[in-house]
Formats: sequence, structure tokens, C-alpha cells
Amino acid sequence: MSGARRGACVAFAAWTALAAPACSAPSPDARFVATPPDRATFPPVAEELVHRCGTLDCHGSSSRNLRIYGSTGLRLDPGDRPSATQASTPAEIDRDFDGIVGLEPEILSEVIASGGAAPERLTLVRKARGGEEHKGGAPFTAGDDQDKCLTSWLAGHADADACARALALPIP
Amino acid sequence: MNGGRARFAPAVAILAALAIASTGAACDPVHDDAQASLGGETNGDHPGPTHRPGEPCLVCHDGKVGDPRAFAVAGTVFEDPSGRVGLSGVEVTLKDSAGAVFTTTTNRAGNFYVNAGAFTPIYPMRTTLSYGGQTAQMRSLVGRDGSCAGCHTDPSGPASPGHVYFHELDGGTP
Repeated sequence: MSGARRGACVAFAAWTALAAPACSAPSPDARFVATPPDRATFPPVAEELVHRCGTLDCHGSSSRNLRIYGSTGLRLDPGDRPSATQASTPAEIDRDFDGIVGLEPEILSEVIASGGAAPERLTLVRKARGGEEHKGGAPFTAGDDQDKCLTSWLAGHADADACARALALPIP
Repeated sequence: MNGGRARFAPAVAILAALAIASTGAACDPVHDDAQASLGGETNGDHPGPTHRPGEPCLVCHDGKVGDPRAFAVAGTVFEDPSGRVGLSGVEVTLKDSAGAVFTTTTNRAGNFYVNAGAFTPIYPMRTTLSYGGQTAQMRSLVGRDGSCAGCHTDPSGPASPGHVYFHELDGGTP
């Protein structure tokens, strides 16, 4: 094989190797959000959402659109039971994260990219604050600890203290 | 002649509205299916304060046309997690998110019920049970369903903690 031909073969092989991944289908589990929120600081937010929104008769029901999994509500593992003595599992927190991100991924990206400005662009926030029809009423008030817990996370600096205080609300 | 028609028109409109309202209430297939799923009375019971322990009371006691009187909150407290023996004399304290408190006591079937109007909780709500000097508080909130058995269904599973009970098998409280 001549040097020129060998070079052409190597170039073709390299091109094929580089092009193959580009032509393959994405994983069915893949999620694409231009500017995703921070998964690492999400657990306290997830705990608050489970406490306030994820009761078995609300978003802890498998028939709800936004399904929230967690310790005192709907469990992800069929072997687990709703219990205050168990923590939510990492898999449940992952599922909650995916649920929140998947609601309005484009708008969420814009909110995250703008440092959490105008979070009421998100249906999640509008419903929680009662700014949009919500069968569960208006569990959050703009600026209260429950609201701070969620919106500070959207702003990229999750307020874990607000989340901890929110767990005692609204009934001490 | 026209004057007679005009006189009857409001009455006809009212009757038509009532007919539509009652038909609408009676033709809610979700409600009808939920009621049908409960089946008939068991153990020779008749409708009354001790019937259907452990069932979601507000499926029927929801105040709709043709149904029994409405309850705001109702349920059953059983003795322990393994059995279905109702526990009488349990004090049930309900505290809503506005701070209003209502207390009632379970009857001989373990049932308790709060008539609509006697207490209208602003959800979410907390529930505490007291019996024999011991107290057990439900750790999570009641979001909006006044029937305990709306969530506390048997058997327990990932979507239900099982029926409400007061004593753990080791004698402690849940």
C-alpha cells in the first residue's frame, strides 16, 4: 500500500470514528437543559417540597402530573413505605429533580441563566404562590422561608437554612 | 296568554336549573365508581356511626345531592398494624394551618367523624392521637383529603403507610 493510500485510509478511519457518535441516537434517559439548576444543592429543596407539596393526597399521589417522591410521601422503591424515620433516597431526589427540570426546561434555563430573576416565569412558582389556579391553594408566600428555599436554589445559591426552617411550617 | 307565560318562566327556569344541577351531581362517573368500589355493607352493619371502619368516609359523606351528610374529616383508628380491631376512646386532635383546633373521640368501632360546618380546616392540617396517656402525632401533613383512608389504605406499600393504628406491636406508638 502506498504512503498516500495508507494516509487516506487512516484519514477515513479517523473520520468514521469521529462521525459515528454524532450519528448515533441519544440515550432515551438523556436530558438536555441548556442551563440546568444545581443538582448538588437540591436535596434540602427536595425535602421541603416533599414536606409541603408531596403528601400522599397531593403531589405524593401517583395520579398527579408533578409527582414528588420522598420519605413521608410516595416512595420510589416498591419495598419502601412512607415513613418519617427514613430519609428520602438519592434515587427519589434524582426523580424529583428530573420532575422539576422537566416541567418547563426552556423557561427554567432562562431563569437559571438570569440568576433566578423573575422566578414567577415558572408555572411551578406561580402555582406555589397561588398566582395560577392550583387545587392545593397557595402554600408559598413570596419571600417566606418555603419560597426562599425554592427561589434561592433557582438563583444558584440555595438557602439551606430557609429550607430547614420551612420544614416546621406551616404548622409548628 | 303572554302574561301567563311570563309568570311561569322564572319557575320553569328554576326547575330546569335544579334538574340540571341534580343530574350533574348524580352523573359524576368518577364519584360513582369510587362509591361502587366500596361495595355493600359488611358484617351485618347498617349505615350509622359504626359502619365501614377503615373506609374513605368522604367518598360518600361529601355532601353531594342524594348522599349522606357531609363530613369535614373522618376516619378510623385501629389498635395495631397487624389487625383490624377498632380502638375506641382515642382522642383525635386536628390542627389546621390557621391554628384552629378541633378535638373528637373515636367510637366503639374506632370511627370518628367531624360534621362539615363544625370544623372547616384550612389545609394542610396536622393530626394527633392520644390514648391511655400516650400520644402519637402524624409526622406528615394532611394535604387536602379529609378521609384518613384516602391515603391510609391496606395493605401498606410505597403509596400508603397502611391503616391508622395506635399501638405498635411492641407496645410503643407509631
